[in-house]
Amino acid sequence: MQETVLLPLIVALPLLGFVLLGLWGRRIGEPAAGWLASFLVLGSFLLGFWLLLQGGAKWTLAEWLPGIPFSLRLDNLSGVMLMVVSGVGFLIHLWAIGYMHGDAGYSRFFSYFNLFIAAMLVLVLGDSLPVVFIGWEGVGLASYLLIGFWYTERVNADSARKAFIVNRIGDLGFLLAMGLLWSMFGTLSISELVEKVEAGGYSFTTLSLAGFFLLIGAIGKSAQVPLMVWLPDAMAGPTPVSALIHAATMVTAGVYLLVRHAFILHGDAFLAGSIVALGLLTAFYGALCSLGQWDIKRIVAYTTLSQLGFMFVAVGVGAYWVAIFHIVTHAFFKALMFMTSGSVIHALGGEQDVRQMGGMRKHLPITHRHGLVAALASGGLPPLAGFWSKDAILAYTFEYGPWLWALMLLASALAALYSIRWYVLVFLGEYRGKAHPHESPPVMLWPNHILMGGALGVGFIGLPYVIDYKNFLEPFLSKAIGEFPHEKLPVWTEWTLIIVSALVAIGVLLWGFRFFQQPLPQWYARFQQAALNGFYVDMLYNTLLVNPLKALAELLFSADRGLLGGFAGLGSLMGGLGGLLARLEAGALRLYLLGFLLALVLLLLWGVLR
Amino acid sequence: MIHLGLWWPLLAGLLLLLWPSLGRAFALVAAGLSLLVSLFLFAGYGGQGLAYTSQTPFLPEVGVYYALGLDGAGLLLWLAVNLVVLLGVWVAEVPVRFLALAFLMQTGLLGIFAAQDLLLFYAFFEATLIPALLMLWFYGGPERLRAIYIFALFTLVGSLPMLAAIFAVRYLGGAPSFLYADLAAHPLGGSAAALAFLGFLIAFAVKTPLFPLHAWLPSFHQQNHPSGLADAMGTLYKVGIFAFFKWALPLVPEGFREFQGLLLFLAAFGALYAAWLAFSAPDWKTLLAYAGVSHMGVGALGLFSGTAEGTVGALYLLGASMVYGSAMFLLVGRVYQRTSSLEVAPVRGLARHAPALYVLGMFILMAMIGLPGLSGFPGELLVLLGAYQVAPWLTFLAFLSVIAAAAYALSAFQKLFQEKPQAQVVPDLAGREWGFAVLTVGVLLLMGLYPKLFTTYLEPLGRALAALVGGAS
Repeated sequence: MQETVLLPLIVALPLLGFVLLGLWGRRIGEPAAGWLASFLVLGSFLLGFWLLLQGGAKWTLAEWLPGIPFSLRLDNLSGVMLMVVSGVGFLIHLWAIGYMHGDAGYSRFFSYFNLFIAAMLVLVLGDSLPVVFIGWEGVGLASYLLIGFWYTERVNADSARKAFIVNRIGDLGFLLAMGLLWSMFGTLSISELVEKVEAGGYSFTTLSLAGFFLLIGAIGKSAQVPLMVWLPDAMAGPTPVSALIHAATMVTAGVYLLVRHAFILHGDAFLAGSIVALGLLTAFYGALCSLGQWDIKRIVAYTTLSQLGFMFVAVGVGAYWVAIFHIVTHAFFKALMFMTSGSVIHALGGEQDVRQMGGMRKHLPITHRHGLVAALASGGLPPLAGFWSKDAILAYTFEYGPWLWALMLLASALAALYSIRWYVLVFLGEYRGKAHPHESPPVMLWPNHILMGGALGVGFIGLPYVIDYKNFLEPFLSKAIGEFPHEKLPVWTEWTLIIVSALVAIGVLLWGFRFFQQPLPQWYARFQQAALNGFYVDMLYNTLLVNPLKALAELLFSADRGLLGGFAGLGSLMGGLGGLLARLEAGALRLYLLGFLLALVLLLLWGVLR
Repeated sequence: MIHLGLWWPLLAGLLLLLWPSLGRAFALVAAGLSLLVSLFLFAGYGGQGLAYTSQTPFLPEVGVYYALGLDGAGLLLWLAVNLVVLLGVWVAEVPVRFLALAFLMQTGLLGIFAAQDLLLFYAFFEATLIPALLMLWFYGGPERLRAIYIFALFTLVGSLPMLAAIFAVRYLGGAPSFLYADLAAHPLGGSAAALAFLGFLIAFAVKTPLFPLHAWLPSFHQQNHPSGLADAMGTLYKVGIFAFFKWALPLVPEGFREFQGLLLFLAAFGALYAAWLAFSAPDWKTLLAYAGVSHMGVGALGLFSGTAEGTVGALYLLGASMVYGSAMFLLVGRVYQRTSSLEVAPVRGLARHAPALYVLGMFILMAMIGLPGLSGFPGELLVLLGAYQVAPWLTFLAFLSVIAAAAYALSAFQKLFQEKPQAQVVPDLAGREWGFAVLTVGVLLLMGLYPKLFTTYLEPLGRALAALVGGAS
């Protein structure tokens, strides 16, 4: 692994785009701004790919803060993430050139988009926790700016703010993890932490707590239960944002963080159990909610939740490379799903309600092909990409416990169901709206062609060992994540699992294909009502948390304003009522003066008597 | 050089008072010169110990000296003060006499950070109050009398026990003079230490401001001139953390240890409490006042942890918050100039008409809530790393404020800049405001991206203090 200054250049390219477009975006104008941004990201991709072929790279600025270097590291793990972020990121940039056409904030959009890529690359490449945290909050900022891109609408601004605040809960976990690891090991460099954790000589309970803090961070960023509420609202942003940030890359950062710190998590039954439980809850919650949505973007957003839950389960059962594998395949088919949705929205002049869609198979034949592949890959049809990564997760869960496997099989059945529902509602039947659908321009179709290729074929980098003994991805990633040996399932068990999950996917896809084309039965409508509102979690949070916290802020505020000094403040907090206040103030003042005089006299006395 | 840097603002202020016709141009040059001098001093600093020392007997028989000197912390804060004064003079639209008062205050502040004799420090510490009060008196709002009363009361009442403490550390500790070096060589021990520390504690807690002695701050900011200049100077006057660091802790370490638990708690609790309250603030000045209390709570937590990281973090955060806090007050002043209101409540949607102002506001706000890459973060991180070693639970309590900060800051920001724009068209950044914007953003980025520039000089100070008051390191 070579020390090279080319590594920070990978980050610098999109950062340059952010600065250039931020300062002179209007002068650069449309479409140059979009092309500039896109090719800078492509530059990062190519440079990163080249460095990865050289066997990785690192770069260190000796001291950023006392005892904390600023270090980047391109190894196989961060390399794979880099490829996904900049590769898929480049395609979505291209697509956005068409999608954002004519928007008043065209160059502002690409400026933020490049900022996001730069921050995400810092997050991925960072080899020191504070550096990772710079990227971590940086992507949060970019997400905030892009969700609220059309901030003159109140709902968009609200959604952006909500995303930022909820994410900050996770960030607090990240911060505390840094505090704890620093007090344990005196370093925050990840490579050094690996060595120190290996060396031993610390309390395992404390290390477990550090893992728990990291987990909180991951939950926030990856929108796991109970912090998932921000992600559906994040769809307020333009569709490329949803595809890039809230599907393909940023939301997987939590999973990446956990995998990067597998050396802390591994072998800790409590943490593993928590991660599995949260992932499972999220997988089901997302799947069920998706089945009840009418807004095309919210449908896809909830499917993302569900797939993120799959990744968490993978981390929980120790299948770290599989979690990354699923990030890769998911990036392709989910980005494709979002961009197909976006192409449809674009074709229908901004319509997002699937009840006003349908029949796009005829009107948008090319986009239809993309949509079909996306749905089938997301539904886990063999041999598309989604099938192989999902199947690998299922195999590991079987080792963890057959009951978990059964539950995950159910979750993947739901995944097949929501994928086909999305497809049927958008593409089949007769067109139910009034717009005049038109196929997207080439600049939007070509990225989708490529993503479609990925959704079809990228699964072959991680085939199960019974098919391809020389699976590429597992040994490749293990070099960076670390070797965590596990017993491989017997050949025939593995085959049985593969066939069962394939059959389930095919069966559910076929069933859903018919079910959603017919009028929906009564029970489904009832279920849908609850699912549409996310099972009222937002309402619950508002009642139990947000409103009481706001009320308490009001209460404390009025108490504090009435207070003149701490003692009066405590008094007024208890006594509380306005009329009393004036007298209390005067009384407290006298008490103050008395106290100080007393202190003075005591001091003088002491001096004299000594 | 140090004498020039220290007394030049006073001279400039007096000249302006006598001949207001010298006008803004002179004020700008004067402020720029101050900043240049401090940049020069910073560039010439060798990196070790006290530099630019100067010592002249003042009352030698009593042991009082006119003694100055600057170390890493002093230089950082000199830079911060001079930068903020320049920004304020640059952008605030106020009468020339107002600027003169700011210059008078500037000398007081610089003196606080440079004084190497405890009585000299005390003189600066108290004298600075006078221009601050005068600004409030001449240019304050309709309820300024009450604000003055409260402010003066807190400050003056706080300083009496401090005076007692000063004499206690000198005479009971047995130092031959009031010089810092002498006093530090004779730290006060025994049971008097606790009382002496308490004397310092009250005075410095008022100026930190540390919960619950922060109560003067909201009314101080509310009633001050809407241009934000007086608020910026007030932000600079929050010298409590520095004073604890420079005087109270090293001179009475035993006393500090007696109170350490309580102080850690007050700092942590205040950090969260103030951030929480800020959510309900009806106007921007109140909001920023509480935000400042919260940040200083975080800083104080770092200092009181007695660790090297915490101390460096506290000082860095102090310097950074002087800049972003003041810049935010000045920005709000520019908003007032456009909308004639500082209230948070009605939606204004300024971003549509004033996109550059919006971007500037975004930068300062994000620095304020500790976004990595901007100036607030390095200090907060170091405070966290230090405080966690000593008091993990209190650290957790204090850092809940990062969530609350996002809530109060973004909510108010949204109402001011986002949502439906009002019919009334406001002008975007123009003229001098661009200079203010560029300089501010540049410093926020510099302090956020390259903290080493200052932490190199702060680190030995942190280590020395940690060795003295005995936290983990």
